[in-house]
Amino acid sequence: MSIHNKLKPSKDAPYPDTFDHKRWRECMKNPHDVGGELDVPMQYEEKEEEQWELNTYVICECLAWRGIWNAEERRRRQNVDFGNSNYLALPYYGRWLITAARIIVDKQLVTLTELVNKQEEVRKRYE
Amino acid sequence: MNRSHHADKATGVGDPQCFKGEAGPAKFKAGDRVRVKDLPDIFYTRTMQYCRNVVCEVVIATHESPAAEDEAWDNCDNPEWFYIVRFKQQDLWPEYPDTYSNDTLQTELSERWLELV
Repeated sequence: MSIHNKLKPSKDAPYPDTFDHKRWRECMKNPHDVGGELDVPMQYEEKEEEQWELNTYVICECLAWRGIWNAEERRRRQNVDFGNSNYLALPYYGRWLITAARIIVDKQLVTLTELVNKQEEVRKRYE
Repeated sequence: MNRSHHADKATGVGDPQCFKGEAGPAKFKAGDRVRVKDLPDIFYTRTMQYCRNVVCEVVIATHESPAAEDEAWDNCDNPEWFYIVRFKQQDLWPEYPDTYSNDTLQTELSERWLELV
């Protein structure tokens, strides 16, 4: 029987001399690997996508079409690289959108300075 | 940046169809009993921890594709076979009730994760 298919309580950061291999494997578990983890039932809502969600999907498809990433790299970035807390905190398409912004900075299509300046410029339109 | 991405390769063909014939002969066949390896999880995988070290049955060799661990960094040099495998739910979950002992779970894993029992 696997050692992994058991519920695990969160713990405080351990002292280095108490950090064993089992704990290491728990830390390295990918955030999207949620099978068997404790959760509560969700209310199913029958609703259409927000416009920004549809736009986000199109942006991400265009990034693939133009060879900026493939679907697996997108999934790595939006499901795993952002870490457990963001995986659970952001809406589904929120993770797509922040990941689209991240890839254009990582692959040096725009600088973070340019992106931040643009965000600030757009925000001021709504003041 | 390399613009000759596999988007080009997949256009008009489909993905994973565009990798057909690139993985060599399939190592496993339908009916084989295999165990899921417990490889490291570092950085990225799509192989769930709950199925590690659990024995299952190969249902079919489905397609050839770069493994998720490679494709996630845009490395498409070594496509491998993917298999649909079937677990008994009771083999996965210790608390799974005897009432539903016939329940199974199917998933798809790449060849590197499997070994013959």
